[in-house]
Amino acid sequence: MNKNKHLLLWSSVGVFLLLVVAAWSENSNKEWRRIQKSASNAEGALDIHLRQVVNTNLNSADRCVSCHAGMAPGESELKGHAILAAHKPVVHQPADYGCTICHGGQGRATDKADAHGDVHFWPQPMLPMKYSNAGCGTCHTPLNVPNSDKLASAQQAFERLDCLACHRVGGRGGTLRPGGGGLEGPDLSNVGFKGYDIAWYDKHLAKATAVTEGPWKASFGAIDDVQRQALTTWLNTRVGSSKLVEAKAAFHSVGCMGCHKVSGVGGDAGPDLSRAGEKDPGLLDFKAVPGERNLSNWLKEHFRSPVATVPGSQMPAMGLSEAQIDLLTMYVLSLRRRDLPGSFLPKDRVQVLRFGAREFATDGATIFSAICAGCHGADGKGRRYPGTQAFPSIAGQDFLSLATDEFITETIQQGRPGRKMPGWANEAGLKPEEIQKVVAYLRQLGGNTATKPETTAPRWVKGDANVGQRLFAANCAGCHGAKGEGGEGPALNNKILLATATDTFLIETIKAGRRGTAMQGFESPSPTRAALAARELESIVSFIRTWETKK
Amino acid sequence: MSTPITQEHAALQTFRENLLAAPRRLLDATFRSGKPTTDRTRSTFVFGNVFLHLHAVRTHRWNLRWTTTMGLGIASTAAFLITLITGVLLMFYYKPYPDAAYDSIKDIHFVVPTGRFIRNIHRWAANVMVVAVLLHMARTFYTGAYRKPREFNWLIGMGLLVTTLGLSFTGYLLPWDQLAYWAITIGANIAQSPREVTDALNLTDNFDPGGFQRLLLLGSDVVGDEALIRFYLLHVMILPLALVMLMAVHFWRIRKDGGMVRPVDADQRLAPRSGETYPVFTEAPQKTYQLAAIVKGKTGVVGRGPENTVPSMPHLFYAELAVLMLTVLICVALSLVSDAPLKELANPAVPENPAKAPWYFLGLQEMVAFSAFMGGIGIPGIVLVGLGLIPFLDREEKGTGDWFGGPGGWPLVRRTIPFGFGIAILIEAYVIRFGWLREWFPSIPQLVITLINPGTLLTLAYALYSVWLVRRHNSTRAGALGLFTCFLCGFIVLTIIGTYFRGPNWVFYWSPADWPKH
Amino acid sequence: MTVKAGEPKSRLDPEPVPRRDFLGLAALWAMAGAFLFSLAGMLRLPKAAVLSSPAKKFSVNLPDALADGEAFVPPGRAVALFRDGEGVHAVSLICTHLGCVVKPGPEGFECPCHGSRFKSDGEVVAGPAPRALPWIKVSSKGGAWVVDEDVKVPAGTKEKA
Repeated sequence: MNKNKHLLLWSSVGVFLLLVVAAWSENSNKEWRRIQKSASNAEGALDIHLRQVVNTNLNSADRCVSCHAGMAPGESELKGHAILAAHKPVVHQPADYGCTICHGGQGRATDKADAHGDVHFWPQPMLPMKYSNAGCGTCHTPLNVPNSDKLASAQQAFERLDCLACHRVGGRGGTLRPGGGGLEGPDLSNVGFKGYDIAWYDKHLAKATAVTEGPWKASFGAIDDVQRQALTTWLNTRVGSSKLVEAKAAFHSVGCMGCHKVSGVGGDAGPDLSRAGEKDPGLLDFKAVPGERNLSNWLKEHFRSPVATVPGSQMPAMGLSEAQIDLLTMYVLSLRRRDLPGSFLPKDRVQVLRFGAREFATDGATIFSAICAGCHGADGKGRRYPGTQAFPSIAGQDFLSLATDEFITETIQQGRPGRKMPGWANEAGLKPEEIQKVVAYLRQLGGNTATKPETTAPRWVKGDANVGQRLFAANCAGCHGAKGEGGEGPALNNKILLATATDTFLIETIKAGRRGTAMQGFESPSPTRAALAARELESIVSFIRTWETKK
Repeated sequence: MSTPITQEHAALQTFRENLLAAPRRLLDATFRSGKPTTDRTRSTFVFGNVFLHLHAVRTHRWNLRWTTTMGLGIASTAAFLITLITGVLLMFYYKPYPDAAYDSIKDIHFVVPTGRFIRNIHRWAANVMVVAVLLHMARTFYTGAYRKPREFNWLIGMGLLVTTLGLSFTGYLLPWDQLAYWAITIGANIAQSPREVTDALNLTDNFDPGGFQRLLLLGSDVVGDEALIRFYLLHVMILPLALVMLMAVHFWRIRKDGGMVRPVDADQRLAPRSGETYPVFTEAPQKTYQLAAIVKGKTGVVGRGPENTVPSMPHLFYAELAVLMLTVLICVALSLVSDAPLKELANPAVPENPAKAPWYFLGLQEMVAFSAFMGGIGIPGIVLVGLGLIPFLDREEKGTGDWFGGPGGWPLVRRTIPFGFGIAILIEAYVIRFGWLREWFPSIPQLVITLINPGTLLTLAYALYSVWLVRRHNSTRAGALGLFTCFLCGFIVLTIIGTYFRGPNWVFYWSPADWPKH
Repeated sequence: MTVKAGEPKSRLDPEPVPRRDFLGLAALWAMAGAFLFSLAGMLRLPKAAVLSSPAKKFSVNLPDALADGEAFVPPGRAVALFRDGEGVHAVSLICTHLGCVVKPGPEGFECPCHGSRFKSDGEVVAGPAPRALPWIKVSSKGGAWVVDEDVKVPAGTKEKA
């Protein structure tokens, strides 16, 4: 019996001791307690208890403020640990909205690693501070964002026109004139979201002409249409998150949407990016990614070398600068779009989801750079990535002088089935007027080359297709493929191409070639081959036409 | 005039005395036999207390040897009590609704006072309970305690095993994380696996027990809020009630079936009593304290000289409390070392890979990988039926009450262990290395695979071995010893392979470090 | 439970129990201690460390059109804010009787549960309510008003913008 008594005694003592350890680790050994112990406010030491921001609409309980107590509801000006600092002023009160809705992380957790989400099994870790503006993308999506060039010139216009003398934007400007006189205009940081008086220019001008001196006279004058257009762009993009707008502009500058959809618009060669910022880092392969295992590092490395991070990825390395990669990473991180209660959908998101509003500015330049530039190059001269076929140049004079607006429009609308070029006349594509703008911009890129009017019928060639086949094999198949399937040069057996291209277009193209590309004109001889006669050209065209009916 | 006043005084006086005596009388009323300080009062105390009277007032010295039972029954009960108490505490905060369930577990983990610790204890006690119940069954088997007159209690014990596993399994879904969601998805589809057979026989349209079972379990066609509330109901209400009832019957039957099993020659084999035990009833050897006409089994006393019993209080109670506290100690220690897992929120769009059931089901999951029906229902069914039949097939008496008692004995078991392990490992290794019928003949009918798969072959090999043992030793007990040992070995091998060597897509890996990253 | 050698043993003589069994008592008390300690821990569990309701301190913007003496109840809150020439004050809308939310009316507040009526400064006019509706702390912060439902102030305390 003594054996049992000993067993009972020592088991009980053991249980007691373990319980003491458990009690100690639960009650004393907590980081948030130590932090709150160090804190004091105007009324003395802080009471030590768990703090949280509850938002019943978002179903969130963010206990981040147990450590970041300076941001807890009703706390102000805490002294002590650096972590106790107050939140910088923002549109959405952290004490009402909580923390995780913008910053990500695990709000219910009460220790650092768990709360910041740097743990296994928490799919939405905190956004790095550097990219914290990406958090706005949880609910908002800036609309009408132009490409980086246009955004930069809009900013320049705004600054050059001295608007900052009276207005404040993003914490800059709006200072009173020296000597106490002058005006302070409204803060324009959020006008793109909140809206502004569209008649502002006339009103400003009326005021400026009515006075003879003072800041109105000194800082305001007539503004031409181009610059007013730039100012409109600038104002529309002032939505309280200028870094995110900048990032989105970068996204609209490198043609990502040619292959990727965002909010339902874009090509489908690559994955839909609408929620790419929600990727769970736990499901990603970090083998090729240096640095910490987080989504932003993964994205950056992915931009540098897509194939290394995602084996089998078809995405070429775009040759982006580190600054561009930084911006694109922020933008992709902002594609989070958490499922929110309807009352939390802001109007910009509603416009996109319900009314088909464009997230990109709908001028030709932005559409071209957002959609076309990835393959055809920002200058329209075509691009070539390692391991892929070359993409055709479409802004050359040789092409534009032959291609009618109808031809280009048709090509954009229908695409080139079987090739990378998708058709854009569909739900995920462009509206007719947008395509027109792209065509006009293309002409502008090509130095405003006009098309030579065609006087001939669309189909007038009557060559010998058999002769043409021989000639094609000898002269064309090297680049265009034996069956016209394309290679170095574009595919020629494409039904859409053959339906839209006239005989004259084809003949003239062969004759003159495309300067700036591998396509030499066949009108004149080159050191390696003889010129082709008119009848031979016609035979080749006749041969090419045989693909129109064949499978 | 004065008389009534005096009477009034007297009544008040009595009232005062009664009031003062109330605490003492409460004690008297509670412990009717007075302070349990002597052997006799203790006996009455044990006898008269609803909780203690599950015990006999006197316990045979054989029962108190640590090797007799190893306290496994008490450990199982203790683990159940721990899960019961911690489970009720967790119910303060747990909300059985998808998403809210997950958030409430997060809250229990992070902000509920003692919540994380209580949840850890609950989880570890549940695991300890499964282990203890399995070991308790093994002890009962190896000591031959299932034999007449304890056949029925053996069946009750199997019911307790199944209920325990059911409790553990239903608790698995409640956190509503990925682990839970996908383990239950698999579990529900195992319930549906009779379709494997009905499909093959083209019966499913008219006769679909599998689909019915799954629907009954999930309440819907997917694992969703309906399934969660059902699992919750099973976990906190139906199964615990069933378990408590089965336990009551189980304990009662221990008494009614003649107490703990012990060898016929236990009295001779016990060491002579030491000074600390006290001989009783020596003057009345004809005494019985069983109603022989009603209670089955031999009385422990008649015509057999001095009893080898000691008072249950305190001898047995010290032993029981010691095992109880040891169980608590193990659970608490494990809880401090390791947190109960909680993965990301359940996401029906992203399957866990690999999705693993609780460890004690991984042996089944390993067999399910060969054939859902055979692994999930067929073989476990055969095993359960076999276990249930053992006491009715083995009617021998030799060796009852001894570890590995009966023909063959320990040498047989010792020789069986390498065989049981070996053949399981051999079959597994063969399948992992060379694949199975489907890989060789892709067009083979499913029914063939259902019938001939590594799981059924293993079962068959074990069965043949045991038949051979029966012939060789001319004893059913020998066959049973071999078969039970074999299945125990097979369970261990399959569980270990399922736990440590299976990775994404249930592919074999030497270590989780080799798992491909997705 | 020891018996001295040579002593007569009879079933009629109960087994003597030793007075002091130090080991046994220590074991039992250790067990009791462990259980009591764990009981204390378990009893802490039901008391929630954080409440699942939003913070009692919140900020509110008063509508410009709010008239003198007109109550403004922020949505989802049980507080009425008033603005007059002397400043802004807030009155709790939780009935002091049994906690129903009172309704602001033209002449004060009325409780729908047991018919208590209060003047607009919170004083009880009729019904079972034992105390006046308390005034709640309001402070001005950058154009908005911060209300702290947990802090009561003496009736008549008004806060200037």
